[in-house]
Amino acid sequence: MTVTESDLPGVGKKFEIELGGGEEMIVVIHNTGKREVFRRTDPDADSERAFEFSDDLARTIGSIIEGAYFQPVEPETQETTLPGGVLLEWYELPPGSPLVGETLESADIGNRTGLAVVAIQRGDEVLDSPGAETTLREGDTLIGVGTRENCAAFEAILTE
Amino acid sequence: MALLDVGVMFAAVAVAGWLANRLGQSVIPAYILVGMLVGEFVLGRVALPAVGTVYVPETEFIALGAELGIVFLLFFLGLEFNLDRLLGRWRPIGTAGTIDLANFGVGLVLGWLVFDAFLPAFLVAGIVYISSSAVITKSLIDLGWIANDEAEPLLGTLVYEDLFIAVYLAVASALVLGGGDVAAAATDVGIAVGFIVGLLGVVRFGAPLFDRLVATDNREFVALRAVAAVVFVAGAALALGVSEAVAAFFVGMAFSATDRAHAIETILEPVRDLFAAVFFFWIGLVTDPALFADVAVFVALAVVVTTPTKVVTGYLAGRAFDLDVRRSTRVGLGMTTRGEFSLIIATVAVTGAEAGSFDPALAGTINAFAVGYVLVMAVLGTTLMGYSAPFESIATSWLDRGGADGSGAGG
Repeated sequence: MTVTESDLPGVGKKFEIELGGGEEMIVVIHNTGKREVFRRTDPDADSERAFEFSDDLARTIGSIIEGAYFQPVEPETQETTLPGGVLLEWYELPPGSPLVGETLESADIGNRTGLAVVAIQRGDEVLDSPGAETTLREGDTLIGVGTRENCAAFEAILTE
Repeated sequence: MALLDVGVMFAAVAVAGWLANRLGQSVIPAYILVGMLVGEFVLGRVALPAVGTVYVPETEFIALGAELGIVFLLFFLGLEFNLDRLLGRWRPIGTAGTIDLANFGVGLVLGWLVFDAFLPAFLVAGIVYISSSAVITKSLIDLGWIANDEAEPLLGTLVYEDLFIAVYLAVASALVLGGGDVAAAATDVGIAVGFIVGLLGVVRFGAPLFDRLVATDNREFVALRAVAAVVFVAGAALALGVSEAVAAFFVGMAFSATDRAHAIETILEPVRDLFAAVFFFWIGLVTDPALFADVAVFVALAVVVTTPTKVVTGYLAGRAFDLDVRRSTRVGLGMTTRGEFSLIIATVAVTGAEAGSFDPALAGTINAFAVGYVLVMAVLGTTLMGYSAPFESIATSWLDRGGADGSGAGG
């Protein structure tokens, strides 16, 4: 993605964002705070004004696009604090993780990190209190309980 | 009654601005025309039933407001002027701007043929050379060209013109206020150039000072201190016999280097617009439309000659920025608009006449020429930009096919 920034003396700034296929989005930020969004279908075409926003509206729309306003994708880790500063966290085993293929016994997570694995979500089913013989698979979500240090130690061996 | 005069002025300007906007035209010609209409030369010549003759006289406040308009227009030019930007894109901007100087030469020849003297020719050259930043920028935004590639050569050439006009105004006002004598003029130009060098030193080394001056979050204080700095320096310059406009330009440039440049721009923009409107109104007020009859042929000649020359130099400017024929044509059409700075140059002659160093009759003629010329060119330029499509197709079919022999076309 290429973003070209240029000054517009007496007007403000212009950002040209390549969208691929020759299409471009052009954002003009006026010194007054007004934003104008233009669309250019190919490099030789004229820019067509698509939207015009006030400063406040532009910021709100910007945060929606950024995902800060509403987060459609589930984040990789969630964090819930239990009383006493103990965290309840869940981690998805990413492809290539050294833990994939290990059993809970051979991975020895409890001794190495201090994190207690209390459940594993695999597809639609949940294995609660998984036994030592349970083999970890790619895509499993491990639900663990531990201190912040335990969690950090686990994150380290999760990808390594 | 002075307050009522000012009230009538603002009411007239407000109505004229609204009307121009409705017609899709630039507000500048509207402000000038309404000033002419309510002034002594039109309304003052009509005996109204019951009230007799009433008109808005050129009060001291209006004249001073107009002067502040000039100061703020040039202050903003300096504030938005960015030397790094100019030097960063020096190759295309320098090429485009230098080609554009041909218009100054054309104006010089034209002025010489009409007045047969250097100084009036020099003023005419400035009037027909400088395009209108205000009108062109507004049209760019209105038409959406601001997002296209033609915006860069247009705005770039305007930046070059701004720098040229700052030096030009210093020299022109020194020549006019020095009055004809070559030796005296040389001294005055020397003082003017010395003043510019001094101001450049202030801009270059006084940055921390300007920074500290406006380093406050209080908007009121930012406004007051910026206005104080620019009006004080401009006033001091005028007292020394140097162009107040140039002084304002350099004060603006000094503020442009501070962190508060954007805040100053936002806060003072309405102030500039207000006093700029007063300036255009005042120009109309002091212009006798009866004089148009004397300068009509000259104005027509200037329009016929300098419209195509600007189109050609603008076209070449677009080519210097590697634009295609169609977009370069737009640059040419856009550059034809003349406006506020042509009028500021004319006021140099008027100021000279008031100071007794310039022939008042000649000043009246030059002022009437500038006003007539700007009225035509502001409307013509805005219209050419709004209806550019046929010109673009003519230029494309003409120049793209011609290829090799296309370089000498136009004129």
